[in-house]
Amino acid sequence: MITPLEQTERIFLPQSGWDEIVSHCKRKMAGEFLPGESKVRRAYGILAGSQKGREIFIKRVLPVKKNARTVEPLKTYMDTVMAEYARPSRTPMSQRGWITDPLELKLCYEKCDQDDLDIFGTYHMHIVPWEGDPIRDTPTLLDTVLARNSNLFTFIIAMVDVSRPLIKAFFEGEKNKQVPVAVQPERKTTGHH
Amino acid sequence: MVNIIIPFPLRKFTDNRREVKITADNLAECMETIISQYPGLNLLQDNPALLSIFINGKLSKDSWTDVILNNNDEISLIIPIAGG
Repeated sequence: MITPLEQTERIFLPQSGWDEIVSHCKRKMAGEFLPGESKVRRAYGILAGSQKGREIFIKRVLPVKKNARTVEPLKTYMDTVMAEYARPSRTPMSQRGWITDPLELKLCYEKCDQDDLDIFGTYHMHIVPWEGDPIRDTPTLLDTVLARNSNLFTFIIAMVDVSRPLIKAFFEGEKNKQVPVAVQPERKTTGHH
Repeated sequence: MVNIIIPFPLRKFTDNRREVKITADNLAECMETIISQYPGLNLLQDNPALLSIFINGKLSKDSWTDVILNNNDEISLIIPIAGG
């Protein structure tokens, strides 16, 4: 019997995965883009792994390349949701939000199925401090609305202080459904000569 | 029989099945059947514009009733995931 994700008690993320997420965020913040990648200074990605009882083990970081935010009918959906739920920020609404390209997402699901990995969540970064929320390590109302019924965790990468990034996970983007994330050091293997 | 591939986020509605086999002549019948078997999938109808359906790897943009299905067709249901 598979434990429902909302009953998860801890999420383990290997140090290499954490490093990959942070470097993805920093690269996008710096405006460095890979071929085929949407030229937006935001990072969005998918985390996959396996589940054992009430624990999740992240085994793969899948940075998402394409933001379908400007592609209909997804654009209209995002514009509508953002107009209703997004808090005004220094970034214009039209440049905020990320919605996955369906084909890229399909390929991502297939890749994970092939490797017998399940998708447990998405990550995105918060970089702008808000009044009353200087660290930005929790989901916004918009994050919650967009994650509703997703059966996924929303991983927030708080990058307001780039030198001290934080990661927190919330089931379906709900602030009161936070699950601790443990970043695990990995044993280094040494080659035989 | 067609084979419907269920993405992870929807598997909680399909008893964690990755694939569901259905007998249907067209896509509309296929969707009706799978939703009647797994009523939780009714959310696919909440915002049909968000649902992308791939048949044998190709995105289908036609009306569901116009899409004739053949034996062993593979159908993928993709709902985009989004963040702020």
